[in-house]
Amino acid sequence: MKHKSLILVAVVAVALTAKAQVTYERLLKAPGAEPQNWLTFSGGYNGQRFSPLQQINTGNVQELAPQWIFQTGVMGKFEATPLVVDGVMYVTAQEDAAFALDARTGRPIWKYVRAVPEGVQPCCGHVNRGFAILGDKLFLATLDAHVVALDSRTGSVIWDVEAADYRQGYTFTVAPLAVKDKIIVGVSGGEYGVRGFIDAYDAGTGKRAWRFYTVPQPGEPGFDTWKGDGWKRGGAPAWVTGSYDPEMNLVYWATGNPSPSNYGGDRGGDNLFSNSVLALDADSGKLKWHFQFTPHDLHDWDATEVPVLLDAELNGKQRKLLLHANRNGFFYVLDRSDGKFLFAKPFARQTWAKGIGPDGRPELLPGGDPTPDGAKVCPGAIGATNFMSPSYSPQTGLFYVNVREQCDIFTTAPQVFHAGRAFLGSAYSMDADEKDWGALRALEPTTGEIKWEFRHHSAPWAGTLATAGGLVFAGDIEGNLIAFDAREGKVLWHFETGSALYASPITYSLNGRQYVAVASGQALVSFALPQGALEKKKSGR
Amino acid sequence: MALLAAVALGQTSVAVSPAPEVKNPLAGNPQAIQEGRSQFRFNCSMCHGVDAQGTQKAPSLTTGRWAHGGSDGELFRTVQHGVPGTLMPAQESILTETETWQVISYLRSLQKPATLAGDAARGREIFIGEGSCLSCHMVNGHGGRLGPDLSRLGAERSAAYLAESIRQPSAHLAEGITEPNKDLAQKYQTVEVITAQGKRIVGVALNEDSFSLQIMGMDQQLHLFLKSEVREVVHKPKSLMPPYPPEMLSDKELQDLVAYLAGLRGQP
Repeated sequence: MKHKSLILVAVVAVALTAKAQVTYERLLKAPGAEPQNWLTFSGGYNGQRFSPLQQINTGNVQELAPQWIFQTGVMGKFEATPLVVDGVMYVTAQEDAAFALDARTGRPIWKYVRAVPEGVQPCCGHVNRGFAILGDKLFLATLDAHVVALDSRTGSVIWDVEAADYRQGYTFTVAPLAVKDKIIVGVSGGEYGVRGFIDAYDAGTGKRAWRFYTVPQPGEPGFDTWKGDGWKRGGAPAWVTGSYDPEMNLVYWATGNPSPSNYGGDRGGDNLFSNSVLALDADSGKLKWHFQFTPHDLHDWDATEVPVLLDAELNGKQRKLLLHANRNGFFYVLDRSDGKFLFAKPFARQTWAKGIGPDGRPELLPGGDPTPDGAKVCPGAIGATNFMSPSYSPQTGLFYVNVREQCDIFTTAPQVFHAGRAFLGSAYSMDADEKDWGALRALEPTTGEIKWEFRHHSAPWAGTLATAGGLVFAGDIEGNLIAFDAREGKVLWHFETGSALYASPITYSLNGRQYVAVASGQALVSFALPQGALEKKKSGR
Repeated sequence: MALLAAVALGQTSVAVSPAPEVKNPLAGNPQAIQEGRSQFRFNCSMCHGVDAQGTQKAPSLTTGRWAHGGSDGELFRTVQHGVPGTLMPAQESILTETETWQVISYLRSLQKPATLAGDAARGREIFIGEGSCLSCHMVNGHGGRLGPDLSRLGAERSAAYLAESIRQPSAHLAEGITEPNKDLAQKYQTVEVITAQGKRIVGVALNEDSFSLQIMGMDQQLHLFLKSEVREVVHKPKSLMPPYPPEMLSDKELQDLVAYLAGLRGQP
């Protein structure tokens, strides 16, 4: 009898341990094989931010209601995407605080607090966009430019390595991406004249496995696209999580603006590899191909939007596509096997280019460059979209993007560079005579045609989530989380969360109940259908 | 990425406010003026305008009139600590002591002597008398509710902006914000609501999102709507404030009125 219970204990222990391990194989199959979980920043390697869950659907979403609210107690913009693994939610917050929560009740399990040094210089708030998970470790990229591994059950630090010197303007705000045995991160600091890079670290030890510098040195490919000595402080950060194609073993990671963002006098040329998407070998970090969206950018149009991977037929040929709704106002479709430009079409108002030529380069319009006194250009510096995640639904075949409609007055002036100080080359200001607005737009990805749009009162900062319940969720800057009919764009439900939304929603399932969660203000809010409605459905009433 | 929020302090420690009699050590220094111009552009120009001429959010800093003290030490304090109760934020975590002095050197280089020729006392008479301004605007606790409270107007807007607002109230009607902080009054845009019963209510939008609308009606009462429950919401690119052209308000009277408004600094 005694012997038997020991065996039972052992079996249970094995089962729990196995559950706690998030293997690379699990990540490869996410979200399809385990839709109850949300295992990566974008839900899966393809960046589609689509969930097969369908308990919450077009027929019942009207009954969606908050089930719990977790208060982080940390001020600032809450931009994180939580991960959910087997009933536990892991979320990072402002100031690199991080929490493990009971995903059914919102009750905290552990908390990680980081002593962020006073001198860190993130351009746009002390924000963090989330964890990566692999094995029993969580990975956090910090404001002081470290990469940290935490034990997923306790929050204890397993390793903590410095990637760069925060005193020089280097920071991390990105949610890392776990691929095989490596943790991939991209640096922030395009406002401080850093030299951008994408790093991979060994998940077990924290040892750096490779680094790809996004600004080449003399003698390296791409260096001839920098005239003058501007490359020394060339920027091109990489602060939004990339996507991954396991078949080709390529990581697709986008890069940001050259520095200084509004003055190009000391950096003639295209300024590779700023404002590009890079296809990097996941094992070696070697560049397979690159595509630059905005050569010699003068408008702060980082290309740091999530690349969405899709296999689809285009012009009669089955292709491996990469979709990119870019901050410069154009929706691009590339062949992700070789980086070939296929087409681009505006998805927002833009006044700077006649179009994108067959070679993928913009055909510039006169008057689009910043001037000493200011020139009005659309989109504004924040762009037609930004870090907020788009999504793609295989159910509808549509790509969803939250769009900002706003123009800016761009000025330009030379600026003396001081390491570790803001380096912008003048500034931009909002066009005060035109009220900003926004829209959730549904695009047909193989044509760029806008199938429907919902007009937001103001330009949004929140991302989207598509689900097999026929829904797409998006947030607005007034604090509303909104559920739409994914086919037609009809608003089916909305909820005022009480603070501007700067995050992208996720969905998960526990004990037969589907939840939708989003960060808002200092709160993480989780919604579900009321228990009564679910029971009614089960009993057929 | 856009520089939107606080840029944290670099290697220098946080500056302590000098006493008002402290002098700018970089006064008149050409390089400091140049550096100050750069700092001004990316830290201050979004509200004060690219060349400090003022915008609808903040006053001109070129007139030699300083709402919160014009000595070097007072300007330093204003920049570093902001002005409580106004939109002027503290810059102590953004600008080092040296950079603050550079900005002050730059601002000093721009000064044009203030020539507000108007008679403020006469302007006040117009404001409370034939202008009927108090029927819509409140000053220091007296007046109407339809238009913005003007108690601190002189500290918040340039004289040129005031004159334009009187002659052409609809010239700059955008709400002037992109973020939801609602730290700027939005009492500019005219909204007309047709209710489900066909009743027409006109007012100014106090707040709005995609689903609801809160307005101050012409009756100076709050009216709160769900957009799904009304027949129509029409935004009018026109202010409810009537324009005051020269035939109604002479140039001299305009000068007087602006002189009065420019002197409004809030309740003592």
